[in-house]
Amino acid sequence: MKADLRVFVDSDVVISSLISSSGAAFLLLNQSKRHKLLVSNISVKEMRIVVLRMRLGISKLDELLEERLIIIKLKQKAVEFRKTYGNYVTDVNDAHIVAGAVIAKAKFLITYNVRHYKTEKIRSKLEIVILTPAKYLQYLRSL
Amino acid sequence: MLQLSQNTVYKLISRGEIVAKKIGKVYRIPLSSIYFALTGLDYDLYQAEQKDLDIISRVEGELTKTRASL
Repeated sequence: MKADLRVFVDSDVVISSLISSSGAAFLLLNQSKRHKLLVSNISVKEMRIVVLRMRLGISKLDELLEERLIIIKLKQKAVEFRKTYGNYVTDVNDAHIVAGAVIAKAKFLITYNVRHYKTEKIRSKLEIVILTPAKYLQYLRSL
Repeated sequence: MLQLSQNTVYKLISRGEIVAKKIGKVYRIPLSSIYFALTGLDYDLYQAEQKDLDIISRVEGELTKTRASL
């Protein structure tokens, strides 16, 4: 299968993959090549901060970003997306993730923080499906 | 539990879609064979998700703090 599925990956999934090499996040980022995995420059900024705070090794993150992820450049700051996408999330600080998925033209948004996103509204208005890593991998098996 | 008739379960066993072992006159079905029906995930993916869920609250906590300061 061609890698034509565009999948935006939330930062919690990327960071989880750095912690556990047997988790679903790791499987998503390291095994399947049936999609393009996307993050934004704002996601990268927050991931770097969290990785440093949690002492997970910034080089592991850099390696992952270089080898597995495509970085989408968002021209606005995180707070500037709150007005446009704040009503798609329950915590306005997550609005830049929805913005990233829309600008990246993603079909899926993969996150462990599903409850912070208004999944039905995002699916119907933005045509983006929100899934956890395992549910998405299960979907790939059904293709 | 599976919301399937007894006959359907026997058919699924005979087709190999549910792994089971017959002990005497009774079929024993391991939990791993019916995980999809219970969770929507294959057993290996369910286990992989549980591994992440063990650590996710710590990750979410740090991420929430970070996002508030962006």
